[in-house]
Amino acid sequence: MSIDSQGPQVGADEWVARQVHRREYLPSWLGGAQRATERIGWWPRLAIVGLIGAALPSLGLGGFQLQVGIDAMVIALLAVGLNVVVGWAGLLDLGYIAFFGFGAYGFALLSSDQLGSNGIHLPAYLSVPIVMAAAALLGLAVGLPSRRLIGDYLAIVTLFFGEAFVEFTNNVAPSKLGGPNGITGIDPIRGFSWQITTNAGYYYLLVIVLVVTMAVLRLLEHSRTGRAWRAVREDPLAAASMTIPVNRVKLAAFAGGAVVAALAGTIYAAQQASVFPTDFDTPILILIYAGLILGGAGSIAGAALGALVVMVIYDGLLRSPTEAGYLFYGLIMLTLLAKLRPWWRLAGVLAATVALGFAAHAIAKAIWASAVAGGPQSGGWIASALRDWVIVPAHAQTAGNWGFVILVCLLITLVQVSSRWRTILLPPTLCLASFVWETRLVEEPSVTRQLMIGAILIVMMNARPQGLLGQRRVEAPT
Amino acid sequence: MKGRLVLVAAAVGSLAAAGCSSSSSSSASSSGSASTASCVASIGFEGPITGPVAPLGTEQLHFAELAVSMDNAANHTKITVVQGDTQLQPAQATTVTQQFISNGSIMAVVGPAGSQEVEAVGGPMARAGMAFISGSATAVALTTGKYPTFFRVVSKDSVQGPEDANYIVHTLKPKALMIVDDQEAYSTGLVSAMVPVFQAAGIKVDHESVSQKVTDFSSLVAKVTPQTSVVVLPWQVAANAQQFGRDLAQEHKTAVIFGTDGLFSPGTFTISGSYVSSFGPDITAIPADAAIAQAAQSKYGSFGTFGPPVFAATHVVDEAIASVCKAGQTPSRANVLAAIKQTNESASILGQPISFDSNGDLNGGKFFLFKISSTGKYQLIPS
Amino acid sequence: MSFFFQELVNGITTGALYSLVALGFSMVYGVLKLLNFAHGDLYMVGGYIGFFIIQFFGGAAHVSIPVPLLLAIMFVVAAGLVGGLGVAMERFAYRPLRDAPRIAPLITAIGISFFLESAALLLFGAQYRVYNTAEFISLSSGIQIGSVTIDSVQIMVLVLGLVLMAGLRLLVNRTKLGKQMRAVAADREAAEMLGINVNFTIAATFFLGSALAGIAGVMGGLLFNQVTATIGFIAGLKAFTAAVVGGIGSIPGAMLGGLVIGVAESFVTGYISSTYSNLIVFGILIVVMLVRPSGLLGQVQLQKV
Repeated sequence: MSIDSQGPQVGADEWVARQVHRREYLPSWLGGAQRATERIGWWPRLAIVGLIGAALPSLGLGGFQLQVGIDAMVIALLAVGLNVVVGWAGLLDLGYIAFFGFGAYGFALLSSDQLGSNGIHLPAYLSVPIVMAAAALLGLAVGLPSRRLIGDYLAIVTLFFGEAFVEFTNNVAPSKLGGPNGITGIDPIRGFSWQITTNAGYYYLLVIVLVVTMAVLRLLEHSRTGRAWRAVREDPLAAASMTIPVNRVKLAAFAGGAVVAALAGTIYAAQQASVFPTDFDTPILILIYAGLILGGAGSIAGAALGALVVMVIYDGLLRSPTEAGYLFYGLIMLTLLAKLRPWWRLAGVLAATVALGFAAHAIAKAIWASAVAGGPQSGGWIASALRDWVIVPAHAQTAGNWGFVILVCLLITLVQVSSRWRTILLPPTLCLASFVWETRLVEEPSVTRQLMIGAILIVMMNARPQGLLGQRRVEAPT
Repeated sequence: MKGRLVLVAAAVGSLAAAGCSSSSSSSASSSGSASTASCVASIGFEGPITGPVAPLGTEQLHFAELAVSMDNAANHTKITVVQGDTQLQPAQATTVTQQFISNGSIMAVVGPAGSQEVEAVGGPMARAGMAFISGSATAVALTTGKYPTFFRVVSKDSVQGPEDANYIVHTLKPKALMIVDDQEAYSTGLVSAMVPVFQAAGIKVDHESVSQKVTDFSSLVAKVTPQTSVVVLPWQVAANAQQFGRDLAQEHKTAVIFGTDGLFSPGTFTISGSYVSSFGPDITAIPADAAIAQAAQSKYGSFGTFGPPVFAATHVVDEAIASVCKAGQTPSRANVLAAIKQTNESASILGQPISFDSNGDLNGGKFFLFKISSTGKYQLIPS
Repeated sequence: MSFFFQELVNGITTGALYSLVALGFSMVYGVLKLLNFAHGDLYMVGGYIGFFIIQFFGGAAHVSIPVPLLLAIMFVVAAGLVGGLGVAMERFAYRPLRDAPRIAPLITAIGISFFLESAALLLFGAQYRVYNTAEFISLSSGIQIGSVTIDSVQIMVLVLGLVLMAGLRLLVNRTKLGKQMRAVAADREAAEMLGINVNFTIAATFFLGSALAGIAGVMGGLLFNQVTATIGFIAGLKAFTAAVVGGIGSIPGAMLGGLVIGVAESFVTGYISSTYSNLIVFGILIVVMLVRPSGLLGQVQLQKV
């Protein structure tokens, strides 16, 4: 790494502080950008991001992009709330999704025809606070086991609670809770004389709610409670001996997270206009956790950013085969650019890949016409660029499957071998990756979506375990 | 160092350019891409292609694609299928629906598979004026006029449930029976239609419930009493019913299984002596469907009951688009919707004519009852 | 009364299956403090391997080799291949995260789970793969005590499960590798300083744990007759539950936890209600956890400041 120009001054606190400071940032100009953004300050950054978010629809976002944005912001709100429990207080809550469901069902029951002869139709400014308050109480109740259970044992009890919520809404009192048919015909968010019925309306509402929630949590972060949470996360015993009421602090964390989740739930229920038990099952929880940890647990901005990134990729980009193709090739290029160190090695690998591809294509064409009969299946300019480079047989399924298996084996080997072998194996791997993509993966966009998100999660955690905006922490071994 | 910077900038720049050009090309295609010379359109397919009921959704997708390829050949159209994975979750169905609505080349949608998903997307579809035909959503509440652009090619629970229940009461005449739902809307809907019929006939009913995720039924089977001669399984997953049947045999219970459409799966559910009631016929036994069955078998392997209705639904859409083109118009959502409303096919893969009533229900939906022989073959019981 | 015993037998059999999967989970947690959420998908891969072996030897109805040989091949091949997959997983995805905060490998595990499930969908297709066990292991070949039937497949699951668990205990308590595993589980840095090859030990642990999951997958296929890409998720959840309820990191605890869950599910379905069985089982487990906060056989953790 770079050495300070003044030479090492081991023992001088300032020098040590500068080294640590330097290592926290990304190398070269990216680090400079990071430092510049830090100088702006948290509140102005929040305001800028909020304004950008609010301005996006006017750049011409269609109904689908707005829906993706709404889904992403709901998950971002949930991630920000989960950050309170997991990131700040260090409590692994695997039943968090139940608070989201509670908020949604609570709003649904208070704003539809479900209960009573004509139903209850409270306006939003009444029903949302009621639901949030009830969720806080529920959070306290769920948090009670945390007095006796720690770590993974607490996790399992919260998991039970989460699963129990889905079972409960699915099977208990179907006439009141709707059973598997859920509750439909939920009122939109209604105020004194206005109501929000369009996707654009919910988008703006969510931007406002997300920004306000992040602001409130920021204030909480720097309050006594926030400091108490961080103390309890690092070392509960030490915190207790410093007169922090550990049990109450843990309960407060649960309640805080629950309130944010319930808020997200109410907006979700209003926008979807229907709630079903399967909406609140474990796969959604996995998305929230992925977003939170990818963005950096412990950081409000990180939680929101991670969730937005995960959802925009998973729910938005990967649903369209063309854009999934851009993402696939784009990520490969980015990884190469970031990881292949001397620029001449990178250029060499790319040139070899291109040459290898053309050679293989020509040879295959000469031997077997049908080996190249199918065209690249990606949409857009990639297909035309790759037409003479990648081999796509006419009947591709078996070949594609074998290629996939070989590709995975090659990738695992690449990690093990020495750097020289890695450079040699890279061009064939890249050609094979393109082959598998064009032949097989593009044919099954729905399956490929899951594959890609899994691969992205693995690679991103490998590259930056602390998350995008997280801080590197050292955990005391238990 | 500078070299890497240039490379990074070039890569990012080319990706951005690609992104811009792709969005502009897709917006170009959204402005009425069909000409009278060649009929070009897209159909959206919404189904649980991955996720907990992936076998169902994949079978539906395969049959939709088969229908489109066969109809393209017959009508000289250029229809493509755009798939959208819902994983049987209504929230994902909403997202996929928005994606389809934003895609200007999609004229109609086949799917979604679940009744809950129809409830979630019915409103947006109606606002966009986009027709959507489901091959498997059977809840009664869907065709009460709430969703003016919804159609289905299968009969609803309020028809199937009582018919099956009456058959059981009058022909099988059990003294006691067990009915198990799988905690999904399809199943609970049928159960609530059937149980009153049983109770009115004075049969002792043991109503159980297991989640679709459960694959071990030995504990439940142990509860089957010697007097229970019929076990009714209105399930979606045939493989689970097969396991249930094995557990029955292993614990030496003599009860006979009566299943509904989900169990119609000649490759998977083969418990001899069982009854299966299906809204779709066994297309391998219909001579007119031989070509389709053959094509499906060779390309995709064995199939059950969820594929053929989706074939029928896709065929309805294909014919609607073709008729619009033949009339010299450019396909649009409005004229395709109008053409679908006027569908009047005298024959279909389902062995019956297809036309829709004013609420979108299939007119004259038939039910077929099968009994499984000792060799595992499905034999149609004449009504 | 015979109903009681029938439910008990059913419960113990499924419980044995859960225990096997929970064992591997617990072992990996013991050495790495890692909640490997992809463990359930290893079970799924084992199930598929068993299916393809049956197909390779002629399909369920016309098996071309004697059934015990077929079973042996299925178990051994599944154990080997799934074990190898586990080692590859560790090397590729978990090793770089060894010093990262505990929550990071959780997401990697989730990513691996997504990847394995969708790879199975891609390579093998979405349709259910049916074992048709009854074709080659006759349903009437069990034993019958009164009116309680125990299928031969159930007997095999029980016996094999017990043998494997006993073997694992022997390995961990009596062999050198077991000692190394316990050392690494107790304090990885100290173990390294004492000359133990930590990488090898961790890889061996992963191999064993994954092999157990693979064997459990084959057993699950034989018992429940069907495999598809999504069975891993539930299996993983049950394994996690069983391991924690029994005391995570403890091998006898994982065994006990699995049995408790299996028996509880069976009895609640049989005696109380099948509709609410999941809810009631969860309730029971919550009570168990509250009464014994470190799990049934877990060691009470000394908290140090």
